[in-house]
Amino acid sequence: MSAGADKANDGRPLWLAVVASPLTMRLACLGAILLFWELAPRMEWISPVMLSTLSSTVMIGFANIDVFLANLGVTLGSLLLALVIALGGGAVVGVLLGSIRPLRNTLLPIMSSIYAVPLVVVYPVFTAWVGIGVESKVLFGGLYGFFPMLLATAAGIRTVDSRYMLAARSMGATRVQVILHVMLPAALPSVISGVRIGSALTAIGVVVAEMMAATAGIGFLITQNRTMFNTAEVYFGVLLVVVLAGTIDWLVSVFERRAADWYPQKVRAI
Amino acid sequence: MKNAGRLLAQLAIVAAMFLFWEMAVRTGLANARIVPPPSEVLPRAITMLGDPVVLHNLWITSAQVMLAFVLVAPIGVAIGLLLGESDYFGRAFKPFFFFVASVPKSVFLPVFILAFGIGFTQKVAFGMFQAIFVLVISAIAAAESVSPDYLKMARAYGASRRQIYVDIYLPAMLPVIVEGLRLGMIFNITGVLFAEMYVSRAGLGHLVSTWGMSFQMVNLFAGILLAASLSIAVNELLRWYENRVGAWRG
Repeated sequence: MSAGADKANDGRPLWLAVVASPLTMRLACLGAILLFWELAPRMEWISPVMLSTLSSTVMIGFANIDVFLANLGVTLGSLLLALVIALGGGAVVGVLLGSIRPLRNTLLPIMSSIYAVPLVVVYPVFTAWVGIGVESKVLFGGLYGFFPMLLATAAGIRTVDSRYMLAARSMGATRVQVILHVMLPAALPSVISGVRIGSALTAIGVVVAEMMAATAGIGFLITQNRTMFNTAEVYFGVLLVVVLAGTIDWLVSVFERRAADWYPQKVRAI
Repeated sequence: MKNAGRLLAQLAIVAAMFLFWEMAVRTGLANARIVPPPSEVLPRAITMLGDPVVLHNLWITSAQVMLAFVLVAPIGVAIGLLLGESDYFGRAFKPFFFFVASVPKSVFLPVFILAFGIGFTQKVAFGMFQAIFVLVISAIAAAESVSPDYLKMARAYGASRRQIYVDIYLPAMLPVIVEGLRLGMIFNITGVLFAEMYVSRAGLGHLVSTWGMSFQMVNLFAGILLAASLSIAVNELLRWYENRVGAWRG
């Protein structure tokens, strides 16, 4: 059945194979969702307060694009600072916890338990400490992305083949050299997956913080429009955040491909 | 014995952190008004467990979390197994689920408020929405983790269909599915608490958010401690089960 759809001929006419292929099915469902989005509010199947039509969402969004972009800029600023905390801090602590055996055996399990805590309840502490300005978003976003980055880095470091370390040490490498030239390159795939999850969570942390209490930012804009029942603006803001997350994910993949060019030969050569 | 030593070391680390926190406040390193010491927070957390108002809100949050979990677990696992087992549906819809799983879901909360209001139903629906994608993806992984070698082997030895399901499929899939349930549960709890903190009239998240806004720092820290301990307990319980059913993997 599936192989038939690939080759598009197992006795069936070509048009049938194309119509019945999984890709057609997926596109048809996507089309149906978009069509439903446009028609349901228009025909009042769903109240337009709950769901604005696709066309009005896009049109109203682009009519106010300057407001959206200004707030997106605020969010991006907070996000960049938060990423420094999450990725930088997570990588450093991850290397420490992953490479020092007593810490790895005791602290690392504690860290992975803390990862299960719904960090969102900590946000009121930040607003009480530093107010509802940009600082609380940076701290909260940084905290949100810190643990996945830490855990992925430590996991990567931990799985480095001990023969590589032995070889490096027996050739007289210092601790710093071992970390820079053996551990990090070998742990790179895991570190990058930490960067991917960590930056996605940092972004969502910043936006969530803006939604709860803020004076600017895309999350703030979404919440403000929701309280005023400006449904189209709410949906447009949500779309922008999804696009932002998609862009971050894409940037990480670009970086991932670059990184794959730097290291694998060297690692295999050892 | 080695495990006992490790556990002891971990307890010592946690105790040291609390001690450091206490000393930092006592010595004036941290301001007691914005960082209440554990000697105030811990007793408050314990008295909260006897406070009918807190218990009522805690019950509402737990009810939302449990209802969402009970509803979403079979749906998510069923969709995942279908996509993992059926080649056609897998190729049609897997990319969709992988894409949506990478999209931040918390930002859709306002949409749920527009659709369901700010009550119990909206919290349950949002908790389900947070959890379903990780469930589907882990169930897909579970279906794909059944080694064809084991199946071939079982058939060659004449295993019945029932034996193949019970002795091959179930043990192979269960650890991966339980891991998905654990992650789904974490996302579910986070989603419900976030929804309560965002807009609501009840629940632990609502209490925490109110305490924060009115600068009741001891209450706030005690509430965070309760929320954190409960979710760590749930997570560790599921992780223990995951390790138990996954023990055969070595």
